[in-house]
Amino acid sequence: MTATQTPAPAETMSERRRFRVPERFFALQSYIGLVLVFAAAIIFSPRRDGEIVFLDSNNLLNIVRAVSEIGIIAIGMTFVILVAGIDLSVGAILGLAATGAASLLMVNDFGVVVTIAIVLALGLAFGALQGLITAKLGLQSFIVTLAGLQIARGLARIWSGGQGIPLAYGDGPGLAPESFALLNSRVFNGLVPIPALIFLGVSIIAILVVRHSVFARHVYALGGNERAAKLSGVNVTAIKVTVFAICGMLAALAGIIHAGQLNQGSPNDGIGYELDAIAAVVIGGTSLMGGVGTVTGTIAGAMLLGILNNVLALNNIDSNIQLLIKGLIIILAAGLQAFRSRAR
Amino acid sequence: MRHPRTTRLLTLLPLASLGLALTACGVESDAPGVGDDNETGAEAAAGTGAGDCAGADGEYLIGMSQANVAEPYRQQMDDDIRAAVGEIPQFEVALADAAQDNAKQVSDVENFLTQGIDLLIISPNEAAPLTAVVERVYAEGIPVIVLDRKIESDSFTQWIGADNKEIGKAAGEYVANELLPDGGTVVEIKGLPGSTPAQERSDGFAEGIAGNDGVEIIATGVGDWLREKGQSQAEALFQANPEIDVVYAHNDPMAEGAYLAAQSAGREGEMEFIGIDGLPIPSGGIKAVEDGRLSATFIYPTGGREAVETAEKILIDCSTDVEKEWVLETQLVTADNAADVYTELGGQ
Repeated sequence: MTATQTPAPAETMSERRRFRVPERFFALQSYIGLVLVFAAAIIFSPRRDGEIVFLDSNNLLNIVRAVSEIGIIAIGMTFVILVAGIDLSVGAILGLAATGAASLLMVNDFGVVVTIAIVLALGLAFGALQGLITAKLGLQSFIVTLAGLQIARGLARIWSGGQGIPLAYGDGPGLAPESFALLNSRVFNGLVPIPALIFLGVSIIAILVVRHSVFARHVYALGGNERAAKLSGVNVTAIKVTVFAICGMLAALAGIIHAGQLNQGSPNDGIGYELDAIAAVVIGGTSLMGGVGTVTGTIAGAMLLGILNNVLALNNIDSNIQLLIKGLIIILAAGLQAFRSRAR
Repeated sequence: MRHPRTTRLLTLLPLASLGLALTACGVESDAPGVGDDNETGAEAAAGTGAGDCAGADGEYLIGMSQANVAEPYRQQMDDDIRAAVGEIPQFEVALADAAQDNAKQVSDVENFLTQGIDLLIISPNEAAPLTAVVERVYAEGIPVIVLDRKIESDSFTQWIGADNKEIGKAAGEYVANELLPDGGTVVEIKGLPGSTPAQERSDGFAEGIAGNDGVEIIATGVGDWLREKGQSQAEALFQANPEIDVVYAHNDPMAEGAYLAAQSAGREGEMEFIGIDGLPIPSGGIKAVEDGRLSATFIYPTGGREAVETAEKILIDCSTDVEKEWVLETQLVTADNAADVYTELGGQ
């Protein structure tokens, strides 16, 4: 599942041998980046009573919690980008899912399981539809999901009447079941946030899928060379529909977590999250051209961004400067990508 | 696949770091509390009014969590806090910007807890999503000052903000008594529909002009708080209404937009323009008054300086006598006092 495993018919063996060393570096860039940022975070972390504040267990858990939503979205985004697509609708789907979950719980008095099932199915269907339109009409996914973004935001606004729906817990009509509040709680002695565990679970499943499924092999083949994949019997439409469906469903999952964590579902939730997710994927070493990249790289990219955000905040770096630093990191990661495609 | 083993192992690294973070907890810390207990213990004094307080001998870190500095009013709030903190040697401030994202603001506050802040100032992006984390801070004994927007609980030390209805009323009274004592016509340009300030600034204004029967609102437009929208709405209103004496806009940018519309119609001399907010910045309402484009603006105070004043009272004076609500007064700015007010509010 690293770049070296990727079937890329365009490459000849001699070329591959010649550029083997840099290629291996690129495959590992996000892990190297993660280690560097982690080390830098330890070095630059403020200290209190000799303790490194960054390494405080609560702080590390806060980072994973803060990263969980973007991380889950970015995993879905990785599959889409692997087939050389892009999904701009994920932030809006998150908003739609958060609004929908809050509305189903508070207005329709549905149970937690039913609500989660409906919202996940909604995200899945929304994504699948975008994939179907992209594949069947031969459109750019950029445009299809740009339209999807507007539609999801519009639906969320209509669903909620334009206002956020606050969650109140309890028994009886007009109240959400207490169990939904678990999403905003911590287990194991009140330390480990539930969203972090969900992120971990999604990560493991995604890694297993990438390593062991025929589906994943077809995704890489399709991203590497669509025509060749088609000729060798890959069902291109089915694969595209599936990756967008996965992406939509994971965005909806993140939306459910969002509503649970923030006690509210609002049609304005998740604005700009698609860009953070794409940034995590790119830093993770996945090529926007498709066919090259890994889910673990994406997780590393998301963690890297989370750690960076955290250590900048711990050091009281001005928020404007933070934007500059994050921009430069993305340029750096993307720059390495450009160097790779030239090297190939 | 030349080195499958190394590659495999390395690909597990991010997962390992995730796992490290997830398991680190049990080893180091046994209490669910965040950060260092000694310090928060001392702060409990200020937050709850019991225990000892280091007073003037201490050094204090204040966390300021801003909803969105892209709004000029909120940037000004941060600037006011920074300026006021600069005058108190024992204080240091850490500023975070949530860029209008509730989730980011929750993380910002969590990071402040990790840093071990002594006092939190927060201007919440929205009430419901921020309530839980603010309650957590307050429960740790850290004093919390909430600015402008409220939260959905009383787990805070003080709320500081202005009353939009009172400001609207002051604007109405100014029109009724000063600008149009003999009566006249008013056009109102409203803020974003559905937003509380727009509603309150409108209701207050209606109340303010009620004392003068001759003053009449002949038309209203909706400018969504934006200069360009104020301009296009005013253009249409000016077309439809040949006689207008006063344009009342719910904020200065919309008033400026209306002025531009009047200017291009050659009618800026026929009417008076008034706005609200009065930010002490070059693009703000006070300068517009000073330059003669607006006849008046009404200050909507940020509360930044007042928040630091309360922080000083709690942390340095060790006072526990803090009002739960501090409603700030507006101030009328006209050509007479614009330059003075601008300097007074720290404008550059």
